[in-house]
Amino acid sequence: MHGLFHQPLPPGQNLAVVLQVRDHGESDKIVTLYTRGLGKLASIAKGAKRSKKRFVNKLEPFSLLNVQLATSRSSSLMRLDEAELLAPYPALRQEYPQYLAATLLCELVLHWTREHDSDAELFDLLTWALSGLASGGEGRRTIAFFHIKLLEILGYRPSFDGCLDCGMLSAQKAPYRFSPLRNGLVCNSCEPAFSANSLPISMQTVQLLRKAQDLAQDKLERLRFSKGALLETLALLRRYDSHLLQRELQSWNFLC
Amino acid sequence: MNVVPPALARLIADLNRLPGIGRKTATRLALHIMRRPASEAQSLARDLAELHGAIRLCANCFAFSETDPCAICRDSERDSRLVCVVEEPADLMAIEKTGAFKGKYHILHGVLSPMDGIGPEELKVEALVERVRRQRVVEVLVATSSTVPGEATAAYLIKRLQEEGGVTVTRLACGIPMGMDIKYADELTLSRAIESRKDTRG
Ligand SMILES: [Zn+2]
Ligand SMILES: [Zn+2]
Repeated sequence: MHGLFHQPLPPGQNLAVVLQVRDHGESDKIVTLYTRGLGKLASIAKGAKRSKKRFVNKLEPFSLLNVQLATSRSSSLMRLDEAELLAPYPALRQEYPQYLAATLLCELVLHWTREHDSDAELFDLLTWALSGLASGGEGRRTIAFFHIKLLEILGYRPSFDGCLDCGMLSAQKAPYRFSPLRNGLVCNSCEPAFSANSLPISMQTVQLLRKAQDLAQDKLERLRFSKGALLETLALLRRYDSHLLQRELQSWNFLC
Repeated sequence: MNVVPPALARLIADLNRLPGIGRKTATRLALHIMRRPASEAQSLARDLAELHGAIRLCANCFAFSETDPCAICRDSERDSRLVCVVEEPADLMAIEKTGAFKGKYHILHGVLSPMDGIGPEELKVEALVERVRRQRVVEVLVATSSTVPGEATAAYLIKRLQEEGGVTVTRLACGIPMGMDIKYADELTLSRAIESRKDTRG
């Protein structure tokens, strides 16, 4: 199995990952980028649809680019003037599972970030996850690790240290449930009634999630998730997304 | 004060809803229709009104057609053992214009696009698998675009058809565009062109 790996990126560049591309009119494209320096932004690439040479094969989802952007007086869109393709991540288009996972990563960044709110740490996390997927990293694992770290960076780290009411974390108090509303766990004795929004979670998964939160990004690969624990983790993250974002992210439908 | 008469304003709004037509273009088109003889506008109106009644999907290849099966599917001169898979009807028209393809088609009506909620079940994928099985198709030529969603769709189809077995799956070659200096091709395009190089003994 290939591992996740991190490619060190040269500093001081206008680095950007393409999150989404939409046709606009007869010849232009609207390209939503997550840039290292400016955060998420929508830009217009004039003439890109009519295969202008400078944009051919560059403005594709997941691509890592070095971009030249200009602000425009007439619109809130930035103008994308130049794009140099740094990494096209070919595997993300040649394998459907990699494509699915990479699409969810982009959808998460699209909805969890605000425009022009830059976060270099989140940018590096995104390129780390995309390059990991491109070198064969397993999709569901990569999504779980990416998502756990994303919540931490954005300040939405859920607590798995113990029951929110009694503070205990022990097998005697199991089964535990995750409450997206309260952003943490509740044990069976404190809240025996099953509330609609909470999700049952096994002790094994709780322990793995705690470890994942504590490990540095580049050490995450050491964690071994059983299939069951991984599915439980993804279900939890999905529920958390829909609670906090107040919307369903479409890519989840094809992953769990 | 609104200077645009309501009837004209409605037409501009209608045209403005079409893909690739902005407010300015819509106005220009509407004024053009206005200036031309009334008979031309009536003919356009008739064509629009009759469209949905006259056109249906071919149950075999899913092309838009006035007949079912469509003219291409009925054509016994064409090789029904060779099926070319395209994303949308406009792609079929582009390939037909070349005259280089003598097989039949299968139209997916989209590409896999998870963010838009489009997975294999939303496309005509199982119908293709079914067709390959029943009609003894020998070769499926996957002719989706060389964009990320087009390639991912091709990858999915190739795997799905290979699992099914009994059919050769080919992919539209991808490489240097005609008239392009190879110095200016990007690395991905160039490496693909090398992979899909052709024996010159032909
Ligand atoms: Zn408790
Ligand atoms: Zn047909």
